[in-house]
Amino acid sequence: MINRTIAPKTSTVTHIDFQSPEIDTLENKVQVYSMRKTDDETVRIDFVFDAGSLKTSKIVAQLAGELLFSGTENKSSEEIDEEIDRLGGFTGVEVSTEKSTISLIGLREHVVAIAEIVVDAMINVNFNPKEIKQLLQSKKKKMAISLEKVSTQARRAFLSDLFKNSPYGDLAQLEDFNHIEKNDLIEFHHSKYLSGLQYISIVGAVSDQDLNSIKTLGNQFNKDEVTPIENDYSYSPNVIHIEKEQALQTAIRVGRVLFNKQHTDFIKFSVVNTILGGYFGSRLMTSIREDKGYTYGIGSGVAQLLETGYFFISTEVGKEFKDLTLEAIQNEIKILQTEEVSKKELDLVKNYIIGQILEQSDGAQAMMDRFIAVETYGMDYTYYDEFIKQVNEITPIEVMALANQYLKWEDFTIVSAG
Amino acid sequence: MVEFERFELDNGLRVIFHKDTTTPMAVVNTLYDVGARDESPERTGFAHLFEHLMFGGSINIPNFDGPLQEAGGSNNAFTSNDITNYYDVLPVQNLETALWLESDRMLSLAFTEKSLEVQRSVVIEEFKQRYLNQPYGDLWLEFRPLAYKVHPYRWATIGKNIEHIQEATMEEVKDFFHTHYHPGNAILVIAGNLDLEEVKRLVKKWYGDIPARKKKVRNLPQEPKQTEFRTKTIERDVPSDVYTYGFKMAGKGQQGYYEADLISDILGRGKSSRLYKRLKKELELVTEINAYIMGSNDPGMLMLSIHPNDGATLEEIDAEIWAVLEELKSNLIEGTELEKIINKVKTTKAFSEQGVLNKSMALAMNELLGDANLINTETDEYEKVTVEGIRSQANVILQKTNCSQLIIKAKKNDK
Repeated sequence: MINRTIAPKTSTVTHIDFQSPEIDTLENKVQVYSMRKTDDETVRIDFVFDAGSLKTSKIVAQLAGELLFSGTENKSSEEIDEEIDRLGGFTGVEVSTEKSTISLIGLREHVVAIAEIVVDAMINVNFNPKEIKQLLQSKKKKMAISLEKVSTQARRAFLSDLFKNSPYGDLAQLEDFNHIEKNDLIEFHHSKYLSGLQYISIVGAVSDQDLNSIKTLGNQFNKDEVTPIENDYSYSPNVIHIEKEQALQTAIRVGRVLFNKQHTDFIKFSVVNTILGGYFGSRLMTSIREDKGYTYGIGSGVAQLLETGYFFISTEVGKEFKDLTLEAIQNEIKILQTEEVSKKELDLVKNYIIGQILEQSDGAQAMMDRFIAVETYGMDYTYYDEFIKQVNEITPIEVMALANQYLKWEDFTIVSAG
Repeated sequence: MVEFERFELDNGLRVIFHKDTTTPMAVVNTLYDVGARDESPERTGFAHLFEHLMFGGSINIPNFDGPLQEAGGSNNAFTSNDITNYYDVLPVQNLETALWLESDRMLSLAFTEKSLEVQRSVVIEEFKQRYLNQPYGDLWLEFRPLAYKVHPYRWATIGKNIEHIQEATMEEVKDFFHTHYHPGNAILVIAGNLDLEEVKRLVKKWYGDIPARKKKVRNLPQEPKQTEFRTKTIERDVPSDVYTYGFKMAGKGQQGYYEADLISDILGRGKSSRLYKRLKKELELVTEINAYIMGSNDPGMLMLSIHPNDGATLEEIDAEIWAVLEELKSNLIEGTELEKIINKVKTTKAFSEQGVLNKSMALAMNELLGDANLINTETDEYEKVTVEGIRSQANVILQKTNCSQLIIKAKKNDK
């Protein structure tokens, strides 16, 4: 019989092999990134535009993005959908605050044909009033449902309060979906789609000829200067409660405006965050789920924006556990600020984080995501070498110091809904 | 083509190895042939509660997650009505850590009272978060007992109600483990840049001495053929009405399954599907309409999910839905439409098998259905479907007497 109480030996990941995409710059200065070393037939192409919701008022960006396949002078939306479907293609539209990403996926043999349909639709969309009306109806319904959720209520109140001096906190309201001016859509499309293409990323084993065809399509757009975001990131902490009588659970958001990966403390603070709430074995999970059973899940993270970022703790707990949970969160942060983390726990977290980077770099699509995640901030892969180095170097004293500097309870906005 | 090797230990553990030279990670995926369908009607939600307890320490190792995280890995699990599946992903050089952990919890759990007490609370919070405190969250809790009268698919994996979870005892936990968690009831998939001989050696080392137990013969009450239209209306505090239709169909691998899957795509997958074009785009009766299949191992359901537009009535919508269904029953579809749907299936399949974890899970599921190699032949099965097959299966499934309908009405209030 083997002795099962003794763990097998493990070894730490010391090296991660980051592959760069091929980078081409089109005549219109749009970058094309491609990862062509893949071992299957799938291809994904992303067109990324300077067309996020911050670049216009309220819902214009969201609607403009979702209407891109709604028809041209020559084709109805039904015809476009039918053509893409016949080729086994799928499209996706994701409009965030800062950018919009139009994706298409398909098998290699069809992908150029799909891309041609997609680009024609995007360029020549004519914002048919019937399509606009149908989209408004369905968006409004979806939003009304989402607004019923305590998690949505807490997240919205949290963001509006954290970014009350900035468009990041100016969220769409239900009434906004009653009406939209077609001209606003046309103007936005003109400046942010026709002239707002930032880059194209391609993951899949496309041939040289196919790559050239995709480049030709990319050249049909222009790339204007990105509109800067006008912001004042000063904020003041607050405590907000939204009562929902029939709710069985209370959603909680606790956090503050912080920084993104351009800040010198970002990497080491990531370690602090992981210890606190960044993985399944974190202090918050251990205390609030695994010890006390107040919740199905709790976590923390640092959300990154182009010029700043914010730290948040997020959970949904039984209504009767709201105050106990907030106390327990406060207590866990206090321990982090006053007691040195043990070598055993810190080593575990270091190994875990580096293992995660390895996993998140596994495969061509993952590698493209890693590339975009640094390229967007004007950095390159040396950032990850630096990341691994700093994670390995951080000491218990530094963990405590960072927790004291950035996790002051009095700096937090605390939101509960339920 | 996903290549793999298969071997079996003396204690009945089936092992599948997939060599993947492109990844620095390894996957250890363990599928146990037990799901919510194997529960007693008096103790529903148990398979899922049990999944939580599998992380509460095993006989020789007090904590499952810690050593795996220390090895740079992560893990998770899920329970369905059919199966319970656990997976670990970690740097390949630390594979043995996952085998050590997984084999010890296959050998025996620690069975601590504390773990049971806490996980009962956690699962009750999960019940609230996902099923009770969300708009339409209880849809499946209502729909299942409407469509199934006898088969255990009549309850959801989370369970019929919170009481069943509250009342679970340690004796029941031990009994469940003993019945369902043993080598002969598991399929182990290992994938990564490894050698077969090394994998065999390590699997024998860690799993070889786990005692064999007899596999329980599954003898579930089979759902009798539905012979009447069933409808139920409930009122909920939600912003708008939602209609759900379910039609009984074949289980995975059974005759008619692939036809039914394609019928759901023809009807309501994506913007060029028939229901979407007719009810949403042309008539503006709905804001959303989708069709999909449950994909269960025993006879399952083809589902329609409908969000009516303001002002549209149930009668109008229902009549139009049935007109679209009748069309599919009466007339053969064009070959080009079938080709379109199969092209989408191919794309979806190619993307869903990306990455070593997805491949591992698919291998395990297919092995449970009879042969891991189904992963490589499934597309052929779809390509064999004919336009006649679609019409004849539509006539079997899309009958009023084979349909259950749940109407969720928004409570009228003044807000």
